[in-house]
Amino acid sequence: MIDVTMPQMGVSVAEGTVVEWKKQVGDWIEADEIIASISTDKIDTDVESPATGRMAEIVVGVGDTVDVGTVMARIATDAKPGEPHVSENGAPPAPAAAAPAAAPAVSRPAAGARRYSPVVMRIAAEHGVDLDQVTGTGRGGRVSKKDVLAFIENGPAAEEPPMHIESPYRPDEPVAAKRRRPRLQRVEEAPAAAPAPAPAGDVPAGQPLSRMRQAIGTRMVQSLQTAATCTTIAEADMSRIEAARRAAKLSYLPFQARAVVETLLEFPALNATLEDDIHTVHRDAVHLGIAVSLGEGGLIVPVIRDAQDLSVEGLAKRIKDIATRARSNQLRPDEVSGGTFTITNPGGYGSLMATPVINLPQVGILDTEAVVKRPVVVTDELGNDSIAIRAMTYLCLGWDHRALDGAYAAQFLAALRKKLEAWPVA
Amino acid sequence: MATMTYLQAISDAMREEMRADERVFLMGEDIGTFGGAFKVTDGFIDEFGATRVMDTPLAESAIVGCAIGAAVEGLRPIAEMQFSDFVSCGFDQLVNVAGKTYYRMGLSVNITVRLPSGGGFSGGPYHSQNPEAWFMHAPGLKIVAPSTAEDAKGLLIAAVRDPNPVLFMEHKHLYRRVKGDVPAGTYETPFTARVARPGEDLTVIAYGAMVHTALEATADLGSVEVLDLRSLVPLDEEAILRSVRKTSKVVIVDEANSTCAAGAQVAALIAEQAFEDLDGPVVRVATPDIPIPFSPPLEQAVLPQVDDVREAVRELLEY
Repeated sequence: MIDVTMPQMGVSVAEGTVVEWKKQVGDWIEADEIIASISTDKIDTDVESPATGRMAEIVVGVGDTVDVGTVMARIATDAKPGEPHVSENGAPPAPAAAAPAAAPAVSRPAAGARRYSPVVMRIAAEHGVDLDQVTGTGRGGRVSKKDVLAFIENGPAAEEPPMHIESPYRPDEPVAAKRRRPRLQRVEEAPAAAPAPAPAGDVPAGQPLSRMRQAIGTRMVQSLQTAATCTTIAEADMSRIEAARRAAKLSYLPFQARAVVETLLEFPALNATLEDDIHTVHRDAVHLGIAVSLGEGGLIVPVIRDAQDLSVEGLAKRIKDIATRARSNQLRPDEVSGGTFTITNPGGYGSLMATPVINLPQVGILDTEAVVKRPVVVTDELGNDSIAIRAMTYLCLGWDHRALDGAYAAQFLAALRKKLEAWPVA
Repeated sequence: MATMTYLQAISDAMREEMRADERVFLMGEDIGTFGGAFKVTDGFIDEFGATRVMDTPLAESAIVGCAIGAAVEGLRPIAEMQFSDFVSCGFDQLVNVAGKTYYRMGLSVNITVRLPSGGGFSGGPYHSQNPEAWFMHAPGLKIVAPSTAEDAKGLLIAAVRDPNPVLFMEHKHLYRRVKGDVPAGTYETPFTARVARPGEDLTVIAYGAMVHTALEATADLGSVEVLDLRSLVPLDEEAILRSVRKTSKVVIVDEANSTCAAGAQVAALIAEQAFEDLDGPVVRVATPDIPIPFSPPLEQAVLPQVDDVREAVRELLEY
């Protein structure tokens, strides 16, 4: 009999909550198979089985929070797959319930789905395709070259969702007249046989917020209530970054991140934390948080430590790595703390401006938005003005007025803009 | 243009080239009065005489050695190994003399060695081998392996005219099974690959008899390209990479034993130079590393069959 205990996930985590048991008592379990999902105050993650055997007992129920090291479940390691087992009430189950056939098949559920062939990865990189969006028709749902080419040809992402440069404005679609339904039926009209206000028909059933949504909500409200949040917006010409990123086959983000890191070292008051009226300014190191969307699941901000030591390519690699691991619940809790500044990058969907919420205890957050072609006035070296089409973007800096003032924020943005507009193009 | 068998095309190549060039002569076991074990040189002794159609002792080392000497003296010998299996007796002359003489002494060794090779007719372990890979590993030798009658004639003439030693792998099982239009007179087929059938979804790479196996296996499997290598040394890397870059999936078929076969070299080339174009594993179909059995069912079990290639292609298409 082997005990499954609440795992230690980084030094700062003391307890965890069971979100879901993926295996039930009596199920056959392979070693390293995921048996439960847990949630800590920092992160959601999975628990893998320490041994092969049959689930004998579940000690900690869903929703219960226990200390690290507490026994969550017990696995009988002397059991054999396919052998009828004695369930808790002692009655031997039907042979079909032993279900050994299912066990090997699900032992690695998502492994195949996340692997791509070299040609698929190359095409995806060249066209900026998010392979998670591509439906695979190969063996086991594998994304083949045909699938990714068809996706580029017909798929919903034909307009390159991550970083598009066209105007996000679209003429309004003709809206079909909505069939309006009364939101609430009058009580006297309700059939007498349904006294309970069941959410049948018009009122959707309410769902409790997920643990992550609750955590995000608490943190965001706390930030808005604590920090004196201001937003300063500057405009930058991204033409040189555009050329550089095309040459390097990268997105804008690593270039912007590199420029932000360099600028933060010149404006360290923004590369800082503010806690209990103590403003801790980092002058030599930037621990850069990158907001990663988990889709409807929420948002997480993994931190790239010592980002000042990384090149654009290095940053691109790290960003990709943390985003991938964030989406597969593989971040360690220590990787989502200790940031000194955060970048949030929702511009891939075409939005132009936003007022980002500061990730406490940091004092600054940069929101990078869509890069859009716009006519702008440009001045040549003789001082002559002309109108040109340029790839433009807004840089929206959220900053904490408790720690600094507007002039400093504006100077930071001016320096950042200068770096982006003077980016060396090979 | 006349319709000829693969065997007739080989005879025709030698006859035309001997008529055109007095330096060309033949050496081999029973090739004169008997006309050769497979009758490739039937009637040659009557037209060209015993000095140009020389019966030799059963001594492959001596045959190759004599041919090398004659070539160094300016002649253009075509030496026949009665079965390619017997070339092992001439191995030292080929690998250590023919392949190295130009590098050591700057002398051209313009010999052509014909190697009737391959199985499929219950010839057993001594009469069914595909020894080309032994010589691919030895620098200085060229190796060609036609699959059609037209290429058999053109490649043999090109081999005779090439100033280097060339091994001509002629597949015995194709001798009378393959027929095709063959241009009259003399012409050279370049030592490059040929697209036997163009396609988009997958490439089957083969040579010799396996080209026909590949064509038959994939006739109704959608858009499958079949690349006939024709030449193993030099290997047409450009054609291989071009095809793989187009289809991204590749099955390589060897009739030879699997380990270090020509197809292994092709697989290595693709892995190294077309990695980013691959959409699936490089799949090989080859003869396992055992001698060829006499027993017809066992031989069929060992040599790559149409169904084996078909299965491999289908699996990779679905990957």
